[in-house]
Amino acid sequence: MPEPRSEPRADAAQQGTAPDAWFFSLRLIGGRYAFEAPLVTEVVRLGPLTRLPAAPSFLPGVFTHRGEVLPVLDIGQLVGQPAVPIRASTRAAIVHCGPWKVAVVSEGVEGLVSIPRKNLEPPPSESSGVAEFLSAVGRDGQGTVAILDLPRLVETARARAVPAGSGHA
Amino acid sequence: MTEATSEILMFQVGPRVFASVVYDAVRIGSVRAVAPADIVLGSALGMPFGRERGIVVAGDDGGNERTLVVDQVIGVRSVPEEDVHPLPAFAAACLTSGAVTGFVIVDDAPLLLVDLPTLVRERSGAAQATS
Repeated sequence: MPEPRSEPRADAAQQGTAPDAWFFSLRLIGGRYAFEAPLVTEVVRLGPLTRLPAAPSFLPGVFTHRGEVLPVLDIGQLVGQPAVPIRASTRAAIVHCGPWKVAVVSEGVEGLVSIPRKNLEPPPSESSGVAEFLSAVGRDGQGTVAILDLPRLVETARARAVPAGSGHA
Repeated sequence: MTEATSEILMFQVGPRVFASVVYDAVRIGSVRAVAPADIVLGSALGMPFGRERGIVVAGDDGGNERTLVVDQVIGVRSVPEEDVHPLPAFAAACLTSGAVTGFVIVDDAPLLLVDLPTLVRERSGAAQATS
């Protein structure tokens, strides 16, 4: 019976030769934030936003991209920070998190970053604000980057919104 | 070959224009003669500037009509069905109103598509909850 394939990776980590991890980095709420690169499918400039009635503040609207209507997620608003200013030059990363497809609005897009796994540390123990959604803190040549657990963040955003039909009009 | 189309009713509440399926509206008229209890003034769409014109919407059982106050009824348009889009799943899961069901592209601009019976039912439920 063949050995599990995960063992060589564990051995490599123990020996300090683990491969770099790839993340996608954005500027948000005044800092560098990143999440697992495979979640991102595209980076786009935001078109005109259509605001939705009865929407939470972290959902500033939707826009059409190649004939598809996409919701915009403002992480700053979700964690109690100021909204990301939305201008003609504002860019967003389109991400797939489980069943949800959203455009994460940013102050700027840095793109793919490679961080050696040995440079990834546990997040601070705070449980408020954006720290609640951090999975790690990494360091690369540009400095420190906070790694977001984006699927958990998106699912938390959905759960915090009052579901339709709950009587709030 | 003719393309499939949908008939939509376009109307304005406050500063914004919305659309609904035309068959959701029973009739359009003045709200002056409508009993106050049957008027839906503020809704998830916002508050109208005035209170003169209304769209009459049938209740759940086909009776018990309610009148949604609007500022302007812009008219009826026929749009290709390919220009009608559902609300994105994430947005639908986050909205506090189930009355916004999607979008319709009119003159290259997306208009919110509203389910009028759901809208007035939600407003009625909210009014009963606060009374």
